[in-house]
Amino acid sequence: MTSAHRGPRTAWRAAPAGLLATPALAWIALFFVAPVGLVFWYSLGRKPGLYQTHANDVLTLDRYREALGDTFMTSFAGTLRIGLAGTALCLAIGLPFAYWLAVKVRPHRRFVVLALVLVPFWTNFLIRTIGWQVVLSPEGFASRALQSLGVTDAPFSMLFTRGAVLLGVVYNYLPMMILPLYVALDRIDGSLREASKDLGANRWRTMAQVTLPLARPGIAAGLLLVFIPLMGDYVTAAVLGGARGTMVGQLVASQFQQAQNWALGSAMAVVLILVIAVTILATALAGAVCTWLLTRRRRSELAGLAEGSPA
Amino acid sequence: MTRGWRPGMSGRPMADRALNVWGLLVIAFLFTPIAVIVVYSFNSGRLLASWEGFGFDAYAAALSNADIVSAVSVSVRAAAGAALIAVVLGTLCGYALARHPGGRIGRLVTALLALVLVTPEIVSGVALLPWFVSLGVDQELSLFNSGWVRLVVAHSLFATAVVTFLVRARMQGMDSSLEEAAADLYTPPLRRFRLITLPILMPSVLAGALMAFTLSLDNTIISAFVQVSGSTPWPVYVFSAVRAGLRPELAAMSAVMLLLTLAALAVVALVLRRAGGSKDAVNALSGVR
Amino acid sequence: MTHNETPRLLAPAARVAGLPRRTFLAGLAAAAGAPLLAACGGSSGSGGSGSAAAELRAYSWSAYDDPKVLAEFAAKYGPKVLVDSYSSNEEMIAKLAAAKGTSGYDIVIPTGVFVPQMAANGLLEKLDHSKLPNLANLDTAFRNQEWDKGNTYTVTKYWGTTGFVYDTKVITRDLTTWDDFFDAAAREASGKTSLVDDPGEICAMLCFARGWHQSTTDKAQLDQIETFLVDTLAPHIAAFDSSPGSSAIPQGTHVLMHCWNGDARRGILASSEQDRWKWVLPGPKTNLWMDNWAIVKGSKNADAAHELINYVLDPAVAVKQVDFVGYGSGVTGSEEEARKLKLGQIDMIFPSAEQLATMYTGVINEGQERRMAIVNRMKAKAGA
Repeated sequence: MTSAHRGPRTAWRAAPAGLLATPALAWIALFFVAPVGLVFWYSLGRKPGLYQTHANDVLTLDRYREALGDTFMTSFAGTLRIGLAGTALCLAIGLPFAYWLAVKVRPHRRFVVLALVLVPFWTNFLIRTIGWQVVLSPEGFASRALQSLGVTDAPFSMLFTRGAVLLGVVYNYLPMMILPLYVALDRIDGSLREASKDLGANRWRTMAQVTLPLARPGIAAGLLLVFIPLMGDYVTAAVLGGARGTMVGQLVASQFQQAQNWALGSAMAVVLILVIAVTILATALAGAVCTWLLTRRRRSELAGLAEGSPA
Repeated sequence: MTRGWRPGMSGRPMADRALNVWGLLVIAFLFTPIAVIVVYSFNSGRLLASWEGFGFDAYAAALSNADIVSAVSVSVRAAAGAALIAVVLGTLCGYALARHPGGRIGRLVTALLALVLVTPEIVSGVALLPWFVSLGVDQELSLFNSGWVRLVVAHSLFATAVVTFLVRARMQGMDSSLEEAAADLYTPPLRRFRLITLPILMPSVLAGALMAFTLSLDNTIISAFVQVSGSTPWPVYVFSAVRAGLRPELAAMSAVMLLLTLAALAVVALVLRRAGGSKDAVNALSGVR
Repeated sequence: MTHNETPRLLAPAARVAGLPRRTFLAGLAAAAGAPLLAACGGSSGSGGSGSAAAELRAYSWSAYDDPKVLAEFAAKYGPKVLVDSYSSNEEMIAKLAAAKGTSGYDIVIPTGVFVPQMAANGLLEKLDHSKLPNLANLDTAFRNQEWDKGNTYTVTKYWGTTGFVYDTKVITRDLTTWDDFFDAAAREASGKTSLVDDPGEICAMLCFARGWHQSTTDKAQLDQIETFLVDTLAPHIAAFDSSPGSSAIPQGTHVLMHCWNGDARRGILASSEQDRWKWVLPGPKTNLWMDNWAIVKGSKNADAAHELINYVLDPAVAVKQVDFVGYGSGVTGSEEEARKLKLGQIDMIFPSAEQLATMYTGVINEGQERRMAIVNRMKAKAGA
């Protein structure tokens, strides 16, 4: 069937289809592009006086030099460490779980298990985190239980430690990792795994060469969904970590909420976006290189297999 | 944690058992603080974390505390508004992107929506506050001085992106022959959309709405920036209560909300199961097509 | 910058009887003039007869009003008082300034020294003294302050001071000075010390210890403050918490806590082991501050806001507030009344004359931005 004889109607149909995207485009332009553009504009200005927030009478890059100073870099290094460790932990915990959910849990129970993953997500995240605060506080029952068991005699506190920060972060972002992983693993046709096994691959080999590569989009989505919001979050870490959970987002916020230095705060925000973008690109690049290397190796293996004697 | 798989002998059941244990451990981990909160909502003491005695005082106090009730109601209304906008804009946009992918508008929208998704909340927050203020005060669009409007708009951005991508993914999986057939039969466009396209889209729209609602209900950072006094949403209220000392009322209100959520979830599950089997229910939860 | 400002506001009224009479008379004159002005403006100025407002929105320090007092006010006059809290003046000012009059708040409680700039930048509404008949109850020593002559914008709410609380189970020696605080923070209380989340207060600690002015602008001194806070103190800090009394003291979260006297008192009273905690007004010097009622520019409920301010200036109400927050109020006779009622830990509310002599107020000056930058750097360091 050629579309030629239906030409006018197709055009009539396609045009509104394209137009349907315009309301969203207008909305995003008005409430995302414009305000973020404004932030970029502020970042080129300065703070003229104690009680003025910004001025753009002189355009300068000085705010970026200030933003990249010792305070920001120290804070950023800490944030990056928490961000990377938290994301890695989420992956380490979430991947086996998502695999279990997608492959081992019987289909009619999946809804229940998935709901169980999401239900905590529907309680306010601060309240959830505070639940941990109760568990970890020196007067809390974790401490009491350990005391009554005779493990320690003094009340102990896990609050305000790096461990507490990571706990809070992993806890709150874990569902963001599990969901895309589950979606990706669920899509993989079970027969592919079977085929791999029938061809003599053991479980690990099947996992490494069939399941994981096919789940790659889900892994990438999970990493992004955890890493990006985590880098800008300064509430989760602070509730359990106190001063130990000081994140770079706090610094950006304080320029607006305390110092009234919108110019510097904007510059910091722009730097934050750029660094996150660079981190993501670098990770994606590294991933692509790894894939390419793996594929090449496997190709040469296959080639070797074809030439050599059959197993 | 090792998976405990050993080659040879009963490798498979061992690994399966390890996976089962892992799954249950993760669920226990996810529920620990929730259980704590529910238990401590029956604390009759003044401070949440210092257990003094069992009682329902906190529930009475929570439901009669005007600040708490108003914060929850602000949050629910903002989430409903944001979800509505996201569903309308996102469904149209996702449909357009899937059916007409090459267009210049399409590419631009895709890029912008991706950018929305990767912008940290703190950046959106600091960007939106001055923008709302300049719209509301300098441009005298007093609409933007309303806390509810600000929250709805601010929360709708990320949610629109989410719904768009969910709907696009769903549409890409469907071939367009049904719609074309309907068009060939001269079914009017609106009727075509209602009878054919919408039912196909429904699971992803529902998943998107659910997600938009949830994200909005939990949003703290952007809300803290754009909120106006009198429209303090629940997360921001909780955040300031963290500083002022947490009372059991907060746990009680959370327990009530948890119960309502579970009820809503059960209803959704029931509807979806009736409409399209349990697969769709799972899909709606996970946002898969 | 004046180094030796005497804490005039705290000199007992009797001792400076000669001085405040003039201010009192001036106040009377202003009060007499105000209705005239109000009449000219065509406003009804209906003092305490109940306003139409359904609610009043206050932006205040956390737990700064007795909920019972607010409930009684609502029952009597109508408006419900809804309160959001901030942890430093900087935060409150930034919020009001950023919102350009759309913040929605009616009332804020700035610390005295911040008032002139807030007024100059159009953040505050002038008070209508004709709607504040109870202003006469405010002790003359608390009126007509340096930073708000004639109480044009503000009415004193509380006054208080800054010190610290420690856990005597963990720190068994006696701590009495700021140097002791630093020493304990580095030893027994390392990783279990909290500071109030207020740049001015944090930077002032070393000044008090070294005998510098707490609002110093001297570059060398500020540099030393920075080095000390960032390199020496920051690694030992567990949290920046402006109200440890709300939960950290009763829950025993930290061992050593920098805090304000009223908050410390509230925390100790709420603790199940009151003897465990010790409050210290550290030497050689420490802070003295006054927080004040003020009405936000553009408030739509200014009448109701006046009603509330007038209501809490009633001596019977003032004492309830003092008991709840643990700060002295400026209402005449509230100290005597509090002593008569034998409020718990009353010495924490009303320091002795010798202690008062070690206190003085800060000022806002060009060192402000530097102090915020120092504290930001300290926080970054504490998190690293």
